Amino acid sequence: MNKKIELMAPAGGFEALQAALDNGADSVYFGVDQLNMRARATMNFTLGDLEEISKRCSERGVKTYLTLNTIVYDHDLSIVKTVVNRVKETGITAIIASDQAVIGYARSQNVEVHISTQVNITNIETVRFYSLFADVMVLSRELSLRQIKSICEGVEKDNICGPNGKQVEIEVFGHGALCMAVSGKCYLSLHTQNSSANRGACNQNCRKQYKVIDLEDGHELEIDNEYIMSPKDLCTINFLDELINSGISVLKIEGRGRAPEYVATVIKCYREAIDAVQDNSYSEEKVAEWMARLGTVYNRGFWGGYYLGQELGEWTNKSGSSATQKKVYIGKGEHYFPKPKIGQFKLESHSLKIGDKILVTGPTTGAVETEITSLMTDDKQVEEAFKGQEITFPIDYTIRSSDKLYKLVEA
Amino acid sequence: MVVISHLRKRCIGCNYCVEFAPERWRMSKKDGKVTMIGGDEKKGIFTVRVTEDEYDNNAKAAHACPMNIIQIKVL
Repeated sequence: MNKKIELMAPAGGFEALQAALDNGADSVYFGVDQLNMRARATMNFTLGDLEEISKRCSERGVKTYLTLNTIVYDHDLSIVKTVVNRVKETGITAIIASDQAVIGYARSQNVEVHISTQVNITNIETVRFYSLFADVMVLSRELSLRQIKSICEGVEKDNICGPNGKQVEIEVFGHGALCMAVSGKCYLSLHTQNSSANRGACNQNCRKQYKVIDLEDGHELEIDNEYIMSPKDLCTINFLDELINSGISVLKIEGRGRAPEYVATVIKCYREAIDAVQDNSYSEEKVAEWMARLGTVYNRGFWGGYYLGQELGEWTNKSGSSATQKKVYIGKGEHYFPKPKIGQFKLESHSLKIGDKILVTGPTTGAVETEITSLMTDDKQVEEAFKGQEITFPIDYTIRSSDKLYKLVEA
Repeated sequence: MVVISHLRKRCIGCNYCVEFAPERWRMSKKDGKVTMIGGDEKKGIFTVRVTEDEYDNNAKAAHACPMNIIQIKVL
């Protein structure tokens, strides 16, 4: 297996972006505050951030993709142009698009286009059609490995090339949330809360418990699991060798709404897994270890999506996350002493003791996990420190005043 | 008297407020966000005082806004 597989990470903010860069992503994707499928997220980049994103990523040789993939109204056409122009000016690698107006304008400006999952490409002729405009296209999540392989073989056999003159690259989702509807094409939250998923304002009301009642006789249908519209999360790490061997070029990780430690953990696991497949060291033992690590961060339980040919979805059986680990906010960063590599923090809640696992997040720091090996307060070595105290401990990463300190505990 | 307020910077341009109260809201083709007609800006929040006959339509607009950035108050 010599083909280089691109690992694409989500970035909902600078913390997650840095976590992606530090953990082995080859590319990142993100949205600005309008016209992206996570428009409701509390944190979104703005057009003013594009320069910094481009700079940070290009220094590390990481490609950058801006999502511009909602439905687009007439009144959006001007902002579409503004965003595409800014993408071009700041050297962002490409835009991820679904609407023809966006694709058309980006191409007219020679901005690289990738086709978004919202287009739902499921066959080789659609790949051929979009190759007139796009160099990379994500396939629908509803395809099986056999169907993906057939499309990848078709691209190679017919030498289907994009505007850049190279064969189009096929991208698939590797990990993260799955919709019970066609991704990004759902009216559920629009119907109930006037909040259109197709404009990036999904309220995730499929994630709740539902009953099915026969209105004629009032009988409730027997449903063992009331979360009948909430699928488990996609996880492909246990058959990543098969997925890669189907001929794909890009593995995309879902999760722009997720915390930086989610991005750090998932990207690191998939980085190791892709490398293992490529150097033939991929094994069951490694898979078990990756699965355990992936389980520590947000998830609704895992399944292999439709890649393995299941006809029906696997539904989660509870609300919220099944993560085995949770983070508890305990303080903020104050200072870093670079020579002895000591970080200083203010403990704002709870206590911290030697042996505790911690997480530090920040816009420049990203997400770093480590363990407390020694601890000082008031220039004295202590076993445990408490709320209100200023503490110092050895840490290999630079600490900044914008950093937050968390304790990692079992969920 | 009714006061309508709007945190414009968080608008995602979904157009629902225009559908419910077109006399008070207009989409800006410049930046794709909605503009409240007659609104005065202070620290990013636009407000306008209107008569009670505008209450119903703008209450629907406020309810429909997926970003919850429109507020309506009867004085």
